[in-house]
Amino acid sequence: MITNTKCECGHQNRVGTVLCEACGKPLGEHANSTELLEMRYDGAARRSQRANPNFIDKIWNFFSSVKVAIYLIIITLIGASLGTIFEQESNFINFDPSTFYKEKYGTIGAIYYKLGLSHTYESWWFVLLLVMIGASLVICSLDRVLPLYKALSKQKVRKHLQFLTRQKVVYQGPVEGDGASWTERAVKPLKKKGYRVHTDGDALLAEKQRFSRWGPYVIHIGLIIFLLAVLFRGLPGLNIDEHYWFPEGEITKIPDSNLYLKNEKFTVEYYSEEEMSAEFRETGKIVPKLFETKAVLYECTADCDDPSKEPVLQEVERHDIRVNDPLNYKGFKAYQFDFDLTPKLRSVTPALVNVKTGEQYGKFRLDMTNPQQQFTLGPYTLELKNKFMDFSLNEQGQPVSKSKDPNAPAFLFLIKGPDLPAEGSQYIYFPKQVDKERFQQDAINDKLGGVQNTLSLDVLAMEDVDFIASSSYLNIRVDRVMPFIWLGLGIVMLGLIMGFYWHHRRIWLRIDDGILTLGGHTAKNWFGLRREVASFLKTMGIEVDEKQLDNGGNRS
Amino acid sequence: MGKARRPVQIIILFIIVILGGYAVSAAVSGGGSGKPAVGDKPPAIKLLGLDGSVHTLEEYKGKAVVINFWATWCTYCVSEMPALQAQWQKWRDQGVVVLGINTGEDEMTVRNFTEQLGVDFPVLYDSDNEAVQSYGVVPMPTTFFVDPKGKIASIHEGELNLATLNDQIRQLLSP
Repeated sequence: MITNTKCECGHQNRVGTVLCEACGKPLGEHANSTELLEMRYDGAARRSQRANPNFIDKIWNFFSSVKVAIYLIIITLIGASLGTIFEQESNFINFDPSTFYKEKYGTIGAIYYKLGLSHTYESWWFVLLLVMIGASLVICSLDRVLPLYKALSKQKVRKHLQFLTRQKVVYQGPVEGDGASWTERAVKPLKKKGYRVHTDGDALLAEKQRFSRWGPYVIHIGLIIFLLAVLFRGLPGLNIDEHYWFPEGEITKIPDSNLYLKNEKFTVEYYSEEEMSAEFRETGKIVPKLFETKAVLYECTADCDDPSKEPVLQEVERHDIRVNDPLNYKGFKAYQFDFDLTPKLRSVTPALVNVKTGEQYGKFRLDMTNPQQQFTLGPYTLELKNKFMDFSLNEQGQPVSKSKDPNAPAFLFLIKGPDLPAEGSQYIYFPKQVDKERFQQDAINDKLGGVQNTLSLDVLAMEDVDFIASSSYLNIRVDRVMPFIWLGLGIVMLGLIMGFYWHHRRIWLRIDDGILTLGGHTAKNWFGLRREVASFLKTMGIEVDEKQLDNGGNRS
Repeated sequence: MGKARRPVQIIILFIIVILGGYAVSAAVSGGGSGKPAVGDKPPAIKLLGLDGSVHTLEEYKGKAVVINFWATWCTYCVSEMPALQAQWQKWRDQGVVVLGINTGEDEMTVRNFTEQLGVDFPVLYDSDNEAVQSYGVVPMPTTFFVDPKGKIASIHEGELNLATLNDQIRQLLSP
C-alpha cells in the first residue's frame, strides 16, 4: 500500500501523520473539512503507525493502543475487586485455607477457594494483568512521547492558513500598516505574558509552559517504577513478613538472615480494676496495658554459615519493643505480636546429698538442652546417660519422651564412688517435685540399684531453678521495596503537578495582505487562553470579545 | 529513522517478556505457601551431622535421597526407624541415601537414640528448625523422596512401613 504523504509545502510526512510536520496543513481525510483540528501529539504519527506492520509491529500496536490499556485496567479492577469479597490467605498465619473458607462461608467459600480467589493478588493471572498494564504503559508512552517531542522541538513559525483557522481559538481581522512591523510590535506584549516568541517575517509563534506536556509521561514513569516494585517484591530478601517465638533470655536466630535476636526480658502489664470503667469491670475481661520485649539485635560477623561452629555475634541494635514501636535496624523491623507466659525450665542446679549423714557434696548445673555429661562431686562421679524432656513410659514399659519441651524432664545418671558397685549404679532424677511423685522416682531407683538409700539429688533453693519465664512472639518484617513504592508515587505526584498546574499554550499568527489570522491552542483551560489572547489583542489596539474568539466545537 | 527503531522495539519487548515472564512464573511456582511440591528441587540444606561434619544435599548429587524428618518423641518416627535402617542397608550400594533430619533435639538425645536402635545412616541436626521451615514440614514423620535427577518424586506424611518404603525407593531408581 502506497499512500501519498507528501505535503504541498514539499515536506515528506510519515504514515499516520495528521498535520504536516512542517507547515501544519491538515493531511488526507482531514484536508477538506472545516472541523477543528485533531491536535493530539501535534498531529504527528505515532511510532506504531506503519504502512506494513509485521508480527512484532502487531504486538507493539496491540500494547500501544489506549483502548487496550483501558480494557486492561478495567479487567484488573474487576479482578482486584474479586479479592476483596472474602479475606485473603495472606491475612492469616498458621491456618488451613482448604477448610477455612468452607467452614466460614459454606459452598460459596469452597468455590471461592477452589477458584484460587483466596490468593487473588498472588495469582498468575493477576500478575500477568499487571505485567500487561506495565507493557502497555511503556509502549503507549514511547509510541507517543517521542513523536510529540520531535514535533514540538522543531516547530515551524509559519503555519498553513488552514492550521490557524481550524484551531479552537481563532481571530481574523484587518490590521494597518506593514505586516512585519506589526509582528515586531507584537513580540513585547507576548513576552510580558511569559511567552517565548519566535518570528519569521510577518509570521509569529508564541509558546509557554511546554514542559507541562511531559506531565503524563512523567506519571507513567512513576507508575512503571511502582509496578516493578510491586511485581518484584517476591525476590529473595526484598520482603519478609514472618512470625517467630523468642524465649526470654535466649538468643534466637532469625531464619533467612544473618541476624540474631535476644529477648532479654518480656513484660506484660494489665489494667488494674481501678483503671477500668465500671461497665468494663463487669465483663470480667483482663486487658493488657503494655507488652514490652527488651530486645537486642545481633549481626553475625563470622562463622555464620557453618553449623559446626558457634557464630560470632556483634550487637547492632537495642530497643524496647512495644506495640506500634518496633525495633528498626536498616529496614529490618520486629513488631510485638503475641506472648506466652507458660514458664519453661531452662536449667536446674541440684546438689548431691548424702541421705544418711546429710552431707552435701556440691552443686552442678544441669541444662535441659545440651547438658554437660560428666560431673565430679566430692568422691563421686556422675555420668549423664540419658535424658527425657517429657518423661513417659510407652506400651512396652520403656522410658520415652512425649515432646521436646521440658514438661516433665528426667535425667538418668550413672553414679560411681564410695559404697557403690565398681561399674557404677544407675539413678534417675526428676527435677520437678510433681514428677518425682507422679512417676515414683524412689520406686524406679530402687529397681535400678537402690542408690536412693545413700544419695539423692536435690534442689536446695529456689534460685537453683532457672526458668524461661515467657516467650515473646514477634512479627519480623523486612520491606526493601517500600522506598521504590514511595519513589514511584513521588514521581507520579510530580507528573500530576506538571500536567495540572501548568498549561502548554501556543499562539500562531500571520498577516496576509493586511489581514491578521491568529490561532491559539492549549491542552486545557481554553477560557484562560481566550482571555489572554483578548488582552493581547487589546494592547495591540484590537478590541474583541473573549467569546468571539471561540471557534466552536468540542475538540480540545 | 526507521532503521534505528526496530532494534529498540525488539529490546523493549524482550525486556518486558523477561521481566514479565519472571514475575508470572514466580507467581505460578510460589503459590503463596513456599512449600516444596512434587517435581520441585528440594530446598538446599546445610546442617551439622551426627558425625560432626557439615552436610549439604550437593554431596548426594546423582543419588536417590530419602529425606526423613523425625524426632525421638514422635512415636511414628520411632516405629518407622527400623524400616528406614533396613532399607538403607539394602539399597545403599545402589546409589540410595537415607538422610534423617532430627528436628531440634540435642546431641545427647539423638546419639543415645540412634545407638540404641543401631541407626547408621547419616543423621543431621536441624537445631534452628531451618530445614523444617524450608521444607514446610507440619506432621511428623514426613519423608521426601528425591530422585537421582534431583527432583522431589514424592512426599509421604506419616509412618512408612518396610514394604511401601521399598516400593518408593524402587520407583526412585527406575521411574
